[in-house]
Amino acid sequence: MTLLVIATYPVVDGPVLEGPVTIEPSGTIAIGGTRVPSSQGTSAMLGAAAQVATHLGTPPPHALVAGDIGRGDGTRHVYERLLDTVERIRPSVIAFHYMQPVMALMRKAVEGLAEVAPDALLVADAGGMYAAKAAGLASRFELMTPDVGEVGFLADPKVTHPAYVSHYLFGNEGFDPVKLAASAHETGGAGRVLLIKGVRDHIALEGEIAEVVDEPCVPELEAIGGTGDTVAGLASAFLAAGFPTVDAARCACLANREAGRVMGATPAMHASDLVATLPGVLADNLCSWGGACVV
Amino acid sequence: MALFSRKDRKTAPGADEALGLFLFDAVNDALAAEKVLKAAGYELSLVAPPERLRAGCDLSIALPRVEHIGAERVLSDAGVHVRDWVADAEGTAEVCDLVTTVDFGEWLMVRAGNMKIVVEKATGVIVNTSGGGCPDIPYLNLALVGKRLDEVPRPKDLGYTLCGLMLDRAYQEACAQLDGAEGGAA
Repeated sequence: MTLLVIATYPVVDGPVLEGPVTIEPSGTIAIGGTRVPSSQGTSAMLGAAAQVATHLGTPPPHALVAGDIGRGDGTRHVYERLLDTVERIRPSVIAFHYMQPVMALMRKAVEGLAEVAPDALLVADAGGMYAAKAAGLASRFELMTPDVGEVGFLADPKVTHPAYVSHYLFGNEGFDPVKLAASAHETGGAGRVLLIKGVRDHIALEGEIAEVVDEPCVPELEAIGGTGDTVAGLASAFLAAGFPTVDAARCACLANREAGRVMGATPAMHASDLVATLPGVLADNLCSWGGACVV
Repeated sequence: MALFSRKDRKTAPGADEALGLFLFDAVNDALAAEKVLKAAGYELSLVAPPERLRAGCDLSIALPRVEHIGAERVLSDAGVHVRDWVADAEGTAEVCDLVTTVDFGEWLMVRAGNMKIVVEKATGVIVNTSGGGCPDIPYLNLALVGKRLDEVPRPKDLGYTLCGLMLDRAYQEACAQLDGAEGGAA
């Protein structure tokens, strides 16, 4: 029942860090006792996952990260250590997050994981998702968590990065997440379950919409950097706790939205505000959403 | 000796002009090359390499084949590392140029492709950046949030990836929309 998150953190030449994730009273995230900067991205994802583990009484998420500011160096260090870490930790869920989307590295990693952890469920968000899709490996993943700007990328078999997606695919006129989810599944660009983050969250199971979550509606969440990362962290942690994948995705959407409502989200707030709100939100609501109350 | 050092092109490369591609190991090499070549007067476009040449987060530069040698010399003189040149631009894709905005009252959010920037209208202070998935995006978030648009470097000068390039487009639009806010180092 352990979640392993492999990712990067935004520090030039930052060393490889590996260990359990903790949240200090100030809200700062620490990995194996070493603090990482609070920003959008993996710290937000880890914070949300850690709150779920604390609430449910499951093991804290385990992280393997390295400093990377976009040059790919930390990403390479993390991939080098991945299989050793997996053999030692034996995670039930492995989530790829902010990483340089290098197809060759992702191919090698997924091949290796099939050997050493064939039963682990794979999750991809952010650069991990870009690499998995671009490398043609998306169907090996249990869950992917695109936003409206990324689901078009998953549905377009010709592109290797969302920056090249054709206009009509983006969250604007003519945008249809139902069609895009089906297309992504048909063309091998999607994981088994897609959690499409948007004004309405769509959860697709093998290309078919299984759930739509649109309440509470908090438009300001889109403006807050890292609120998509918190959804990915919540869903990954629920999955590691044993929730069925669609339930994990649904509870993640509900918790993120409710946290946005409770904190009175404005565009000037931060993902750390949302993470700090989660304990109360989970305590007050998770049982009634149909997820487990405790594990 | 300026005879061969600067281009004075009057028209953009036409559809009938045969294009080739400079390929790079990293997106920031492509962005550096764009800057150097534009300063030298070349007309060019940033594109995705054809599928067979892609490794992941790629960006390449297309320009007329006939200008290859001169442009390569300009890049070499400027110390910009080029992985390769291919004399065939078929199968390339343009970077998305779709930009939209959302008015949140006190704040303006600008989306460019998969990236967003949010600015407090009264002060020009960047209060959030979001979207994307490449590792320079959290780094840019730390570098930009809490500072005014006119006191930060452009995201494409700080970032390394296509996500950083898209954030730069959102940043430019935010600068354009807010009166009195000039883009940083242009």
